[in-house]
Amino acid sequence: MKLRTPKSLRTLAVASAIALTSFTGVAKAADSTQPIVIPIHNWSSQVVMAYVLGGMFESMGNNVEYVPADSQAVYESIRNGDVTLSHEVWQSTFGKSFYNAMAKGGVIDAGTHSATTLEEMGVPTWVIEQDLCPGLPNWEALKDCHEAFATADSGGKGRWLEGPQSWHGNLMPERLEALGLADNWTVKFAGGADALWTELASAKKEGRATIVFNWTPNFTDAEGFTFIEFPEYTPGCRKEDGGDGKCGSPKGWLKKAANYKFPKTHPAAYTAFSKLDFTTTQIGEMAALVDIEKMDHKDAAAKWLADNEAVWMPWVK
Amino acid sequence: MMELLREHKYLQFMLLIAVFLLMCMFVPATDGSWLWRLPPLFKQLPLMINNSVDFLMFEWWLVDVYDPDIEEYEKQPVMRQVTRGISGFILFLIEFVRELILGGVKTIVTFTSWDWATENPWARWPGLPWTVVAGGAAILGYRLSGIGLALFAGFTFVYIAIFGQWEPSMQTLSFVLIAAPMAILIGLALGVCAYKSKTVETILNPLLNIAQIMPHFSYLIPVMVFFGIGDHAGAIATIIFATPPMVRLTLLGLKKVSPEVAEAGRMAGCTDRQLMRRVLIPTARRDILIGVNQVIMQCLAMVVIASLIGAKGLGNDLLIALNRLRIGLALEIGVCIVLIAIVLDRLSLAWANKQTDYFADQSFKQRHKHSIWFMGVFLAGVVLAWIGSLVFKEGFNYLYLIPHNKGLTTGPFWQAGVDWLWDTFFYTLKGFNEWFIVDVLIPVKTAFLAMPVVATFTLAMGTGFIVGGIRSALIVGGYLLFIALTEWWDRALITSYLMTMAVLISGLIGIVAGTLCAQHPRAARWLLVWCDTFQTFPSFIYLIPVMMLFGVTDTSVLIAIVVYATIPAARYTVVGLQSVPEQLHDAGSMAGVNRFQRYLSIELPMSFPHMALGINQTVVFALAMVIIGALIGTDDLGQLILGAISEKQGVGNGLVLGFCVAFIGLAIDQILRTWANQRKAALGLE
Amino acid sequence: MSSEASNSNDPVIRCENVFKIFGDNAKRMMKESGGEVDAAKFQEQGCIVGVNNASFDVHPGELLIIMGLSGSGKSTLLRCISRLTDATAGKIFIEGEDILKMNNKQLIQLRRSKMGMVFQSFALLPHKTVLENIAFPLQVKGVSTDDSIKRAGEMMELVSLSGRENYFPRELSGGQQQRVGIARSLAIEPDIWFLDEPFSALDPLIRKEMQDEFLRLQGVLSKTILFVTHDFDEALRLADRIAIMKDGIIEQLDTPANIVLNPATEYVRKFTEEVPREKVLKIETVMDPVNPADPVSDIKVSKDAIIESVAEVVLNSSKPVSVIDSTGAIVGAVHASKVVHLLFGGHSKETSGQLS
Ligand SMILES: Nc1ncnc2c1ncn2[C@@H]1O[C@H](COP(=O)(O)OP(=O)(O)O)[C@@H](O)[C@H]1O
Ligand SMILES: [Mg+2]
Repeated sequence: MKLRTPKSLRTLAVASAIALTSFTGVAKAADSTQPIVIPIHNWSSQVVMAYVLGGMFESMGNNVEYVPADSQAVYESIRNGDVTLSHEVWQSTFGKSFYNAMAKGGVIDAGTHSATTLEEMGVPTWVIEQDLCPGLPNWEALKDCHEAFATADSGGKGRWLEGPQSWHGNLMPERLEALGLADNWTVKFAGGADALWTELASAKKEGRATIVFNWTPNFTDAEGFTFIEFPEYTPGCRKEDGGDGKCGSPKGWLKKAANYKFPKTHPAAYTAFSKLDFTTTQIGEMAALVDIEKMDHKDAAAKWLADNEAVWMPWVK
Repeated sequence: MMELLREHKYLQFMLLIAVFLLMCMFVPATDGSWLWRLPPLFKQLPLMINNSVDFLMFEWWLVDVYDPDIEEYEKQPVMRQVTRGISGFILFLIEFVRELILGGVKTIVTFTSWDWATENPWARWPGLPWTVVAGGAAILGYRLSGIGLALFAGFTFVYIAIFGQWEPSMQTLSFVLIAAPMAILIGLALGVCAYKSKTVETILNPLLNIAQIMPHFSYLIPVMVFFGIGDHAGAIATIIFATPPMVRLTLLGLKKVSPEVAEAGRMAGCTDRQLMRRVLIPTARRDILIGVNQVIMQCLAMVVIASLIGAKGLGNDLLIALNRLRIGLALEIGVCIVLIAIVLDRLSLAWANKQTDYFADQSFKQRHKHSIWFMGVFLAGVVLAWIGSLVFKEGFNYLYLIPHNKGLTTGPFWQAGVDWLWDTFFYTLKGFNEWFIVDVLIPVKTAFLAMPVVATFTLAMGTGFIVGGIRSALIVGGYLLFIALTEWWDRALITSYLMTMAVLISGLIGIVAGTLCAQHPRAARWLLVWCDTFQTFPSFIYLIPVMMLFGVTDTSVLIAIVVYATIPAARYTVVGLQSVPEQLHDAGSMAGVNRFQRYLSIELPMSFPHMALGINQTVVFALAMVIIGALIGTDDLGQLILGAISEKQGVGNGLVLGFCVAFIGLAIDQILRTWANQRKAALGLE
Repeated sequence: MSSEASNSNDPVIRCENVFKIFGDNAKRMMKESGGEVDAAKFQEQGCIVGVNNASFDVHPGELLIIMGLSGSGKSTLLRCISRLTDATAGKIFIEGEDILKMNNKQLIQLRRSKMGMVFQSFALLPHKTVLENIAFPLQVKGVSTDDSIKRAGEMMELVSLSGRENYFPRELSGGQQQRVGIARSLAIEPDIWFLDEPFSALDPLIRKEMQDEFLRLQGVLSKTILFVTHDFDEALRLADRIAIMKDGIIEQLDTPANIVLNPATEYVRKFTEEVPREKVLKIETVMDPVNPADPVSDIKVSKDAIIESVAEVVLNSSKPVSVIDSTGAIVGAVHASKVVHLLFGGHSKETSGQLS
């Protein structure tokens, strides 16, 4: 679609173009002074990492701004340029939103962290220690002990508390079906992460066995959480990919996403961002500063930056 | 026989129920049968909406715009330029207020550029010490009302400061200080337009209903697409949510102004504008001020939701705290939100009620004494902050800004309270919970899902017909038809089941509590304060304790909804009972009836229309909470709305799902409102 | 207070064939009727006739009272003349200008400079103090706060409310509130004063007091007044002329005495039947010409005095009482026998003969 540009607008644009090219022509590679917008979600490691990243950018002389955002909706904002980047894209929870936005255009894949993630059904470790379902964490144990996992609304079946349906659609019900567990087990979709954590706390209080969806690295690691060992994931094994569905989750990636203009507006910062690479341990450290040492997120980030110059200095060079 | 039927509505209703039950029994649940479920003809609607929005925002009327950052011309749609212009304006206002309190550089950047601000690091607005803001609030309270409000306002700000919530609270405050007045002004303007033109009123009414009932989540994404992410987007979503009650109450108030007062204004020689501004609006202000109160409450109730699309402040902190189950911290943040709400409400009320005294012959010093005091507080605060910078060497100047989490904390106290609740009631409630789920909820839910679509339509439209004739029947049928033609009818049935249960419970609790409290003026006042508190207190917070006690089950969902939906039932019951004319009480007493008889035979029927509207609002509130229920875990419309956020056609899905929820509400609204109006007319109350 | 006192003959208010019909298709129905409006027929079509063919003049300084039962169209007529509502047909002139042709601006100008109105329900602004209420018309006009407040203070004194400046209307009694309403309507010193049942909402004692107050004010101010009431006693006490309305039609417009003595229609006759004559008639209607031969008492009564108010004096006097006019000159004498006859003798033809 080609339409006439209002004349005044074009004149203005041309004028500023001339002014700017003549001015910025000298320092071509320099980053724009426009702030880089980093999103803040609602879990500790992400927030600390946001401030760590912000600190890195600031050390390079960039302006940074933080904006709270929903962790699913943020990709639409990156696409529109309202948010510059996202530094924690979890494969199984946000993969769908990320790829949807990418398909519409405007979002680029800015590389992958070394940290791998696992997102899977599992039980609190004490369930295994107390032998509430002999044979766990092997999935075959589930065949015989569904009663231990029954709840009032599950109709006598054992209950899997899965994350919201928007996270992985019908994956878990399909898996139950494929593994031949569907007669004795049912899936309940929780509304959000809060619901998962409350279930963990309440099951512990009651000494009741429970199976919930969870991931690592996560703050629940500290209290002990064991993932169920399903048949190994192979590409294409899932129902939606045409497989038989008899498989668990893969080791997931942790990616970084950015708006497509980021490399052009802030070349230096983008380079640093693409080098940014955290391991599972480092992410755990950041989360622990807040969750265990009860530090404020900003303070935790400052402390981490101070303690780990050797790690991040090379990225910003 | 026909005569009887025509005479007695309840007989008609019995007949309707009989037909309904027969249909439920004899219509088979076969897929593909139109009697059982309608085909999803509207399946493509979300996609169409999505495409239109995409077209509007990304393809319609492209112009070349130069982007200095990438030194290239880019094709930019005009629509986007317009909406971003609006965003920029709102954002500027919010940032301006925010930086007055907290300091910053964005306001300066607006008038210069990021380049300039980066090169001139000295050009940073410093922000006020918290002591000055707290002192200022106290002086304002004193000026507007007196020592009581001064103490309360001062206390609130000191509390916020020393409990280490200063920065997020001030961010939230600056957000509300822009969103609330905008909502108030827009609401007032729309209310005035509706008052002046019947057409506007007719158009506005359903829109207001939809805006109020549609779960906020369902328009978060459209707002985000149109306006971007940030405080301005949060503000816009908040304004959509907070404006309807303001419009309603403005209109109601203006309509109540006696025609003679308006005529007096015109005879005094008022122009149309003077008449509106100086006669009608001030005369209607009792109702308008209730509108203002509602706007402020709704704005703060939206703080958490707004943080999902970028509003900075307490909302996001609250979500982080809850995500770690740190209920103590979350409660503390909740208290800050409620305190801010109440302070703003009281200050705005006091401001609106302020009078000028023309006779006090005041000297310059007297007239400006409050400004002078503020200058004093300002100087003292700055000096204190300066002293503080000498005393506190380790980087935190407690006399300037107490950093987040460095203040005192009441967290452990609240946490202990929650733990106690849990320890005390967990096992007691477990049995109840199981019984409730197995013997009540599951059967009801199954029954709802087993309704053939033709039976549902018969029941709803039949009720509409009995209450309000063919017109009501058609309106109700229209709403249902929309839902039935989407692919989410079953989900809507589950939403209806949750809502029905919630409304039954809330209505019962609300009416009983309201009735009991209405017997004593003081108890009634307290109940209303409770209503305010629970209306602003973020529902997210009690979600967790409730889930702890009742698990991830429908019981928890119901309780979360009931806590919120009981508010209007209780509020309207009190208001209704209080508005029963005094003579009627006396007449009743003279006739020798006892208190309970009097309640049953006089007060209850007389306040019935109010209660019906209270139930109507209960429905609205319950539906608005559907989304909160979804955060616990349901399989209804709310769950899908939550999910829409991550979907490719999120805008369309969110909106259509939102409409489905809104239409359930509107259908019920249609029936209840018609009925209440008839009762009102019959009782001669209108 | 009497119209004869005025020497100008141009009417201040002039109504020519004024109609006011409520309803959606009022204009069309009006056109079709061709000036002959039948209320019953209109009612069938969903139209309500408020004012039906009203024509009359009001002269400077005259106090015209509009009387009628509730719903007879009194207020509607008043609202047409003040153009709070637009008449459906007819012409209304204020000081010779057709107000139906005025645009909004001229109308506002007219109201700001010439008109004041008092309402039955007081219609005070609840959010303003007494003082602010009175100052309001001035402030709307653009008078500065200081000046308007000062003037409002004077008005407060005029209606004897001084000391309550900072009260709110809700803190005042009904009588006091209406005093405020009166003060407000007079604040801009209007030439024309509309009062729509100003005292109907007050209890009888206060009403009497307020009527006295009103007469006192009118004595001082002598405005042209349109005064609506449904209380005949009130009308008789106050009026120069009375218009009696029924179903929107002015049945008769005349002096109180003429209305009582010569009712134009059956309705007016019924309406006035019960009215005691002595309450209506002035002394001049029963006085005899001065007869120097007759001994008269030293007592003097005004020829404008209502008979009832001086009956006791006349009856107690052994000799006829002198009647004087406003200048104090003796214009006649009144005999007790005449008064007795009037009071107890039923309708008298001969007195009516002396009228006009
Ligand atoms: N705004 C209106 N719309 C329709 N009818 C009206 C309106 N105002 C007055 N009327 C009708 O006009 C008639 C005259 O009313 P009104 O002038 O108020 O009577 P009054 O003042 O003599 O009691 C009544 O029948 C009344 O119902
Ligand atoms: Mg009237």
